[in-house]
Amino acid sequence: MRTTIRGTRHRAVALLAAAALGAVLLGGCAEDSEHPGAAGSPGADAGKTTLTVGVFGVFGYKQAGLYDAYMKLHPDIRIKETSIERNENYYPQLLTHLSTGSGLADIQAVEVNNIAEVTATQAGKLVDLSKAPGVRKDDFIPWKWAQATDKNGKTVGLGTDIGPMAVCYRKDLFAKAGLPTDRDAVAALWAGDWGKYLDVGEHYRAKAPAGTAFVDSASGVYNAVISSSAERYYDRGGKLVYKDSPSVRQAWDAAMRAATGKLTARLQQFQKSWDQAFANGRFATVSCPPWMLGYIKEKSGDQGRDVWDVAAAPKPGNWGGSFLAVPEAGRHKSEAAKLAAWLTAPEQQAKLFTKQASFPSARAAYGLPAVAGAKHPYFGDAPIGKIFAAAAEGIPNQVLGPKDLTVNQNITDVGVLQVDQQGKTPEQGWRAAVESIDNALDQ
Amino acid sequence: MAGRTPRSAPSAATPAPDPAATGSSGRAGADPGPGPAGGTGRTAADRARERRSRRYRRDLRWSPYAFIAPFFLFFAAFGLFPLLYTGWAALHRVELTAPTDMEWAGLRNFTRLLGDDFFWNALGNTFVIGVISTVPQLLMALGIAHLLNYRLRGSTFFRVALLTPYATSVAAATLVFVLLFGRDYGLVNWLLSTVGIDGPDWENGSWSAKLAVSTIVIWRWTGYNALIYLAAMQAIPHDLYESAALDGASRWQQFRYVTVPSLRPTILFTCVVSTIGAMQLFGEPLLFSGSAGATGGADHQYQTLGLYLYEQGWVNLHLGRASAIAWTMFLILLVIAAVNALIARRLRSDD
Amino acid sequence: MTARRAGRQLHGGKVTYAVLILFTAGSLFPLLWTAVAASRNNTRLAQTPPPFWFGGNLLKNLGTAWTDANMGTALLNTTVVATTVAAGTVIFSTVAGFAFAKLRFRAKRLLLLLVIGTMMVPPQLGVVPLFMTIAELEWTDHLQAVILPTLVSAFGVFFMRQYLLQALPTELIEAARTDGANSWRVVWHIVFPAARPAMAVLGLLTFVQAWNDFFWPIIALTQNGSPTVQVALTGLGRGFIPDQSVIMAGALLGTLPLLVAFVLFGKQIVGGIMQGAVKG
Repeated sequence: MRTTIRGTRHRAVALLAAAALGAVLLGGCAEDSEHPGAAGSPGADAGKTTLTVGVFGVFGYKQAGLYDAYMKLHPDIRIKETSIERNENYYPQLLTHLSTGSGLADIQAVEVNNIAEVTATQAGKLVDLSKAPGVRKDDFIPWKWAQATDKNGKTVGLGTDIGPMAVCYRKDLFAKAGLPTDRDAVAALWAGDWGKYLDVGEHYRAKAPAGTAFVDSASGVYNAVISSSAERYYDRGGKLVYKDSPSVRQAWDAAMRAATGKLTARLQQFQKSWDQAFANGRFATVSCPPWMLGYIKEKSGDQGRDVWDVAAAPKPGNWGGSFLAVPEAGRHKSEAAKLAAWLTAPEQQAKLFTKQASFPSARAAYGLPAVAGAKHPYFGDAPIGKIFAAAAEGIPNQVLGPKDLTVNQNITDVGVLQVDQQGKTPEQGWRAAVESIDNALDQ
Repeated sequence: MAGRTPRSAPSAATPAPDPAATGSSGRAGADPGPGPAGGTGRTAADRARERRSRRYRRDLRWSPYAFIAPFFLFFAAFGLFPLLYTGWAALHRVELTAPTDMEWAGLRNFTRLLGDDFFWNALGNTFVIGVISTVPQLLMALGIAHLLNYRLRGSTFFRVALLTPYATSVAAATLVFVLLFGRDYGLVNWLLSTVGIDGPDWENGSWSAKLAVSTIVIWRWTGYNALIYLAAMQAIPHDLYESAALDGASRWQQFRYVTVPSLRPTILFTCVVSTIGAMQLFGEPLLFSGSAGATGGADHQYQTLGLYLYEQGWVNLHLGRASAIAWTMFLILLVIAAVNALIARRLRSDD
Repeated sequence: MTARRAGRQLHGGKVTYAVLILFTAGSLFPLLWTAVAASRNNTRLAQTPPPFWFGGNLLKNLGTAWTDANMGTALLNTTVVATTVAAGTVIFSTVAGFAFAKLRFRAKRLLLLLVIGTMMVPPQLGVVPLFMTIAELEWTDHLQAVILPTLVSAFGVFFMRQYLLQALPTELIEAARTDGANSWRVVWHIVFPAARPAMAVLGLLTFVQAWNDFFWPIIALTQNGSPTVQVALTGLGRGFIPDQSVIMAGALLGTLPLLVAFVLFGKQIVGGIMQGAVKG
């Protein structure tokens, strides 16, 4: 018994020591807060200002060397980027931070699906960038500029990229199915009408190589069609009209035709199984904005080289794109605004397109040789600069609303998916989508 | 300890006297003036003994509070405000876009749950997934703990290995399971196909999806519970087994009649914790859907209450509604706990 | 296989080993596969069937994950957080659990119910008000923001209470009291020794949990301030396409220190410490 007690004492002492150590370390951290050496504070390097940039996924500024270039131009500035892989995690965090004015980066990115909500509800917490030095409104595509401008004319975000859509297709599968493979001929097959695109799909299905489908997913078809419509879920007066919107009906019907006509590989985009289907060449077409080219290349791998090609979509549309905003709570608002203006200026956007295939929202960049002359070697040297610039010019002036993302997600992930993957009828799918949306929008 | 017994006699006697009387005499002892009751011989030793007994009583009375104080202090500092805020928010219309901007809604956030199909669906899913994950998990954990309690070669290896699922991040683990349960290229369906079975579309079936999510839960938590059982088994006195063995009890009988009854508090503990865990199940179903958000499948077929709460709060941004769901979960758990306690009391009184 | 000696002194038989090996293999497979995935590249991972054996990219991917995610700082931070939280939880839970299990005091049942009640609050929801508190204290981006709110745990208190109910004979406490020991001495000499197996397990579980905690740290900390491992990992895969093999390498890096600690100290924390169980 005595030895046990002595042993215990030793261990208890060790435990206490550990606790004390913890407390000391804790004290060290607490002390830290009095000498702010952390994010966004001066003093890390004497006399230098550290600007933090908070993004989700990949913006490519670092990879394209833009931060380094800016720091070379401004030796007193240091730039640090933080990235959260997915916007689903990033956006609620951004809202929480904005509402308390704490934990914010000097520049925060906002996704296009969230920009209407941010503009409507957070404008008071963000800097008006239209007045920032170096920002020229005329550089940007007008609708992109308008999307981040509130009703009082305050612009809370500067456009980074946009997502003009084309259709990526597999030449090998098209050839086997007796379809043309030349990108102009392919584009001509469906020019002007998504219905023609599905007609081509039916041709394809008739002679489809075993185990392949015409298009990856019905929700992909839905997204493509809705993205090429001007009015979607809200009318121009800001009223939610998705239930009676003709463009929603049109997109839904197209998706249903694809799903019930067995034109799809019954996949869900950005899931593991979608990646695997790319690797195994299981579908012949997918709607692709420029940012998806890299994804296809990566997931299809070497066997997809010179097999994939890019053709113009039936109708031009926009899928994706982002904005940069500067929170009022930041410590270096004017420096941050300057950086945001520089990063979104035409020259930098053109550079980003070359390096990362993020298509510029700055119209002034389209004439630059880096954009106009761009070709993509993986996709059979397709003149992507030309194709996407043409698409960008044709994108309708889309009407956005604060709950676009919620409506869209429930239509694709509940409604379309039920029909495409669970074999329900289009009526059941639509009803389920509407129930989900009504529930999600009811405060 | 035996060497100390002589000293123990007086202190053992001290708790006996009436607290009020000793209390006053203690005060009197400190007073210099009157001290009539005491005779001449008793004073010094008595006073020392009284002081000791006073300290003893004070210790007996207040130390429990000192022991539980840290928990409640930290809870008050960091748990109470969130709890109250959530309760308050549940009575309001409030959005994540402006969490301090509240509009009174009374009990509407609660009453609407009665007619909310998604809530009932989530409640049903939570119950089903809870049962088919918790029951096998605890039974297997008990069995594994029993095996680990034998003298084994490499016992540390087994313990560490069985705890690795718990140590693996949910994200990494779920990614593996998503691949295993894939419709077209999954290993499970491939195995099924080798024996001529056409595997299901795991994620899209109602039961298959619940089964797959339960598998992830079972995989992650079995080793964890086994370790808790093992720790408790180590504290069972050996003589219980020895006398059982003398009575001719087989290994199984020893397990059934010695181990399990001795573990009763720990088993109760794991049941309570697993019930709470099942009620709040969140990470596994969230990540099982890959990047598809918090709907829990196209037909919400594996959307649990935790996931529905998350969807309302963090996807749809309705803090008030989410708070009401959280408090409803809380109340359901309280009811379950009360029933649990009743059953436990009934069992105890049966003994 | 003679059942001469009782309880854990029994040697395990062949069936015991077979069953344990089966469960162990099942437990280890996903972790091993994580390592396999981390040793490949993005393209190979997308193919079917997925790889089942190691490729040659492990070191490269680990290196990328290490530098991209700022793993050095993150590991250090996480060690501080997890150690402090585990030590705090174990000590506070043991004394509180002891009070609830063996001592008499007013409002005990009510307070215990309160402890159990706090376990039932879904953690996803407390995050917003908790962040308001942290922001008010100006702790955003500092480690105390993730340490202090988790320094005590209702789970731990309840766990220690249930354990001590069974494992700590009341006579032992009475005997010590009879010897003139005050409550602190009882805790020191009787409760801590009796609670050791449970303390070890609780410490281990709390450490792992604090290490892997994700939901709250990602709100309270950023990758630039003082990231924990899980926060740092959210920034991984920043190549143009989220690079799965690098993400898996990061997940592996984040888990490995835990496993190494298990293996190095497993004997002490889980095994050795259990030798001293009280005999009553």
